Amino acid sequence: MEHWQIALIIMISYLVIALVVGVWAGKGQDSSSLDEFAVAGGKLGLIVMWFLMGGAVFSAFSFLGAPGWAYEKGAPAYYIIIYTAFAILPWYIIGPKISRIGKKFNLYTLSSFFRVRYRSKTLGIIVGLLALLASIQYLATQLTGMAHIFNIMTEGRIPFWLGALLAYGIVVIYVATGGLRAAAWSDVFQGLLMIIISWVVGIAIVNQLHDSMGVMFTNIAAENPGFLQIGKEGSAMGTIPFTTTILVSVIGFLMWPHLFTKSYASSPKVIKKTVLVYPIFALFLVPLLLVGFAAKGIVDANLIESADQVLPFLITTVMNLPGWVYGLVGAGALAAAMSSADAITHNATLETTDGVIRTIFKDLSDKTVLKIMRIGVFGIGGLAYIITVFGGQGLIVLLLGAYGAIVQFAPGVYSALYWRGATAKGVISGLVVGAMLNFYFQLVADTTPLGIHAGIIGLIANVVIMIVVSLLTKSDTSEEEDTYIRS
Amino acid sequence: MSKKKFTTIYIMIVTIPFLLLIFPLFEIANRATPIIMGLPFSFFYIILVILITFSGVLILYKFDPEHQFEEGDE
Repeated sequence: MEHWQIALIIMISYLVIALVVGVWAGKGQDSSSLDEFAVAGGKLGLIVMWFLMGGAVFSAFSFLGAPGWAYEKGAPAYYIIIYTAFAILPWYIIGPKISRIGKKFNLYTLSSFFRVRYRSKTLGIIVGLLALLASIQYLATQLTGMAHIFNIMTEGRIPFWLGALLAYGIVVIYVATGGLRAAAWSDVFQGLLMIIISWVVGIAIVNQLHDSMGVMFTNIAAENPGFLQIGKEGSAMGTIPFTTTILVSVIGFLMWPHLFTKSYASSPKVIKKTVLVYPIFALFLVPLLLVGFAAKGIVDANLIESADQVLPFLITTVMNLPGWVYGLVGAGALAAAMSSADAITHNATLETTDGVIRTIFKDLSDKTVLKIMRIGVFGIGGLAYIITVFGGQGLIVLLLGAYGAIVQFAPGVYSALYWRGATAKGVISGLVVGAMLNFYFQLVADTTPLGIHAGIIGLIANVVIMIVVSLLTKSDTSEEEDTYIRS
Repeated sequence: MSKKKFTTIYIMIVTIPFLLLIFPLFEIANRATPIIMGLPFSFFYIILVILITFSGVLILYKFDPEHQFEEGDE
């Protein structure tokens, strides 16, 4: 059998198992319960929660982007490990608080978290829409990753549209049937698979291309020490961009709306324990960076379209490995992309239905909302798919802007938890200005002052404006703000 | 330990190592050599700081005052 046929068989088998696990997880639960679909009844256990969190971090970016960064830029790729390890830590303090608030007010989304605390429908809808657009962007990235993997591993036999459809279609089916619980259990399966594969393949690649890790790094250090440093001659990134990129990633990580859904879905104790074991996931990324370093000096940059393709290129072209390795790496990368896509698809549906539609049409019963949610999963899935396959440039810019805006939720969220003085008007003005500045510096301007990350520039303006406007508009106190702060 | 005191200690325990990994403090480890356990010095240092941080958090968890009140879900 040809390599690509073996690879195809392995990847298809993986997809079948993923589908079975996902659909099986939703079985036996109350299929008519909105609470079950949205937050798994608030009762997800530790292991499932852990993988659900890990799955969200281990994405197409970690499988394809992380080796690409290490290959192309060198030391700046460390930022991925640093932020993955540290971004989760504030959750130990704020996660339990958010969880208690969610249970008290029966929340499912970030949008309703804002709406209730600030007594503002407008704010709820703005947050819901931004969350939707950002999620679509995130999904499009995962879908592109899935499609590329299928395409490369089958040596071009599976076209782009079909690969994305196969892999993502399965995600949509199990999310629509089983809700959060299905996403969580399939993440356990996908998580184990991608961790094992990345270690085995990562270490095998390093050892085969270079005698050992030490020899590999000694050679790189001798040839170009700047490549293994930051802000030095020969380095790909300066100290300020490196630091502000880490800062924006650390702050932004916990602002992703699906983190709120997950907080509502588990108890404070489970949240804390998840934080404790989480750094293991950051260390799981190490072999993927090693792959990138291993390709340095071996893969000619002109032969690949983008640095993201360095891992698949190594396997299929440079090393000429057997077909089952193609298949395993393909399955691992698919697992990484799918385990991110499921939670995001689920959450984007909640944000639009619970956050936006339910705010506009008030008198919907839980049953109707659940029905809308299930259909919504297909709607959002379809939208993400169409944008990935046919998306135009203008649309992509808009989505990227929303993606960058996620971190701008931070002032509003932390104020809700710790500062009575914040008002809806303050949060909205800060958010709008922050998001616009971010958009300008990220996508319109060529450079930023001192190389500071666009998101940080937006955040500084956001915080200042939020405080000033809040102080000017503050009137009487509300019951909700009290509950939020005391929870 | 009171909840407030716990939170303060927690924030310190996670912030200090974080500052060691970003500039200006990261400059102390911003070097390619020596190669330790097969890794460039900077890479090794980052992994070491992460491991120390989480050992710290793991130990601190034992002193979390909310423990005795939270059995499973609330």
